[in-house]
Amino acid sequence: MTTTAAGKGTLGTRTMRMNIGPQHPATHGTLHLEVEVDGEIVTNCRPHIGYLHTGFEKLAEYRSYNQFIPLSDRLNYLSSLNNNIGFALAVEELLGIEITPRCRVLRVLLAELGRIGDHVISVGLQAMDLGAFSIMLWTFVEREKLYDIFETVSGGRLTTSWTRIGGLSRDITDDFVPLVRKFVEYFPGVLDEIEKMLNRNRIFTKRTIGVGRMSKEEAVSHGVTGPLLRASGVAYDVRRARPYLGYDKYDFEIPTHPDGDVWARYRVRMAEMRQSIRIIEQALENIPAGPVTALDTKFALPDKFSVYNDMEALIHHFKLIMHGHGFQPVPGEIYSCTESPNGELGWFIVSDGTRNPYRLRCRPPSFINYTAFPKMVEGAMISDMVAVMASMNVIAGELDR
Amino acid sequence: MGLEKLLGDGILATRVSALVNWARQNALWPMPFGTACCAIEMMATLSSRFDLSRFGAEVIRFSPRQADLMIVSGRISIKMMPVLLKIWEQMPEPKWCISMGACASSGGVFDTYTLIQGVDQFIPVDVYIPGCPPRPENLIDGIRKIQEIVSKERLWDAKHGN
Amino acid sequence: MNANHPVVARFRERFAADVLSVEEFRGQTVISVKAPRAVEMLKSLRDDAECPFDMLTDLTAADYLRLDAPERFAVVYQLLSMLRNERLRVKAYVSEARPEIGSVSSLWGNANWLEREVWDLYGIRFLGHPDPRRILMPDDYEGHPLRKDYPLKGRGERSHFPKYTAEEAP
Ligand code: SF4
Repeated sequence: MTTTAAGKGTLGTRTMRMNIGPQHPATHGTLHLEVEVDGEIVTNCRPHIGYLHTGFEKLAEYRSYNQFIPLSDRLNYLSSLNNNIGFALAVEELLGIEITPRCRVLRVLLAELGRIGDHVISVGLQAMDLGAFSIMLWTFVEREKLYDIFETVSGGRLTTSWTRIGGLSRDITDDFVPLVRKFVEYFPGVLDEIEKMLNRNRIFTKRTIGVGRMSKEEAVSHGVTGPLLRASGVAYDVRRARPYLGYDKYDFEIPTHPDGDVWARYRVRMAEMRQSIRIIEQALENIPAGPVTALDTKFALPDKFSVYNDMEALIHHFKLIMHGHGFQPVPGEIYSCTESPNGELGWFIVSDGTRNPYRLRCRPPSFINYTAFPKMVEGAMISDMVAVMASMNVIAGELDR
Repeated sequence: MGLEKLLGDGILATRVSALVNWARQNALWPMPFGTACCAIEMMATLSSRFDLSRFGAEVIRFSPRQADLMIVSGRISIKMMPVLLKIWEQMPEPKWCISMGACASSGGVFDTYTLIQGVDQFIPVDVYIPGCPPRPENLIDGIRKIQEIVSKERLWDAKHGN
Repeated sequence: MNANHPVVARFRERFAADVLSVEEFRGQTVISVKAPRAVEMLKSLRDDAECPFDMLTDLTAADYLRLDAPERFAVVYQLLSMLRNERLRVKAYVSEARPEIGSVSSLWGNANWLEREVWDLYGIRFLGHPDPRRILMPDDYEGHPLRKDYPLKGRGERSHFPKYTAEEAP
């Protein structure tokens, strides 16, 4: 902590410079803020990031496309399924292959479950940072239920690595649909319960309404997407604007809120979870039969059962997996994006015609949303900073890559 | 509890280290150094379903000066490593360290320019937990292992300073 | 957006001398340009009367060391028009000898950090940038790791830290 000599404060006091983080409970991991405060008022905020820089983009240049899928989980570990799906879709767009109808519906189902899993925890953490610890524990109970579902489809709780280029790692099991049914029936009640606890909670409303305002124009200029943009009143959703996986066939609304403050973001997230439930219900109604993997054996991995039992499938498998083999997309560049829980998750892939991407860039929604953070907190109180940060749901893995 | 009935108003004879270790082992105060995905599993361990408080280790302290068990969970980059060292130095002796997950133990799948290939190169680690991420049960098992280690400490060891 | 969209046509007409090529691949249009007038070009796209590209979705770079390209580096701008729901990609080529380009941080709010990231990882300088520091790597780091000639495992930075010993502890 240092005090600066030039006293500029309104009371003729000195402003003080202090560090928050990188190891601080309110910074959710590894964020570091250097703030200048005048009493309790933040006059200047300089975020420092990079504490979790892992080198994903460099590593991707040394890995084949399918090998990157497990890494994509670890980018945003609160919504790894959405990352898996987004990445697989980007590569499929580059290759120009079609996936099967069953695969498409299953991906929608799991993407929406992933979205709920992310939003519910981010609401819980938001409440926790404002003092409502029990909400966090409740939301974790829900997340555990989602983990159970993820486990049945992928075998992993957090790092699911569920998709493959052209399909899925495996088909769903028999207990999947009943589990999801049970979840969608019961989950809206949980949302009501959370709202009952928070909506008229004086502490929560006082600390969120009017805090961390971001106008429409500011949001657009900062490239903010996802719930944050919608909370500022812009009804932009990649699922509508650039439909993928047949999202244009589902009936859902894009919730928005005019205020652009922390409260608005909470409301939008809650509303989005309800919409996700709606999408899941529609998807559950018609899961088409058929294979989950594209029939184009040049690109898509054959399923494990036939690999073990069928000579031809084994050869295909080797052709795709073995060192020095693998599919080779045509040279070209592509930008593909999906709506991840935090906003637009984009992938810019440069292919040079070999089995590894020549350059792979992830457009991280957290990073780009976080660029608007200093604007939001300047002039606010230190304690409001915590509220704003929690409302942004910045995931360090995605922020620093 | 029923302990009163058992002991009554009596006198207990034991070795000092046994008593101290018993107390320490059942009241670990962890300092979570959570950076990435593993930290989410650590949170899961602390919350309802797995409930770490069953093992007396739920008093999470974000201030290193109040903690005696560091759980390094997540990837440590070269920018983070000085911070980790500083925090480890700030923890008072006696202290223990769990390296949770492949990344903290060995760099995991990320053999890149920025990632520390195992924090045990720089700080002493007592228990390694494999997995990417380890399941909450594994973390609980790791904490039980730490308790075992604590129960075998001798007070006059150099570990505790003089 | 396809390559004969009126915005692209207008752009080509106005900056004919600096446009290297306009390509379309899988329905996405890329305009490759020379770097010197990039800021002016991007400003004209942002302020286009009919199809204003008001959002800079992403700003990144690529190193074409081992590919056939006009120059070694390209700074890649992904633009989005919220009004028309159109996307456009602009690539400005930057030479290895003088890796620099004008900064667009005055046009879009998020460009500031994105340009810092490109400087950090590729070593491309942004002229007129208000805060040209590294962002992801430590301030005293040397080299730009995403360049193709930088080794994946680094140059030993990751093992040069003091080892903690109990004796030295305070
Ligand atoms: S070990 Fe795996 S889950 Fe844990 S931090 Fe590393 S990548 Fe994430």
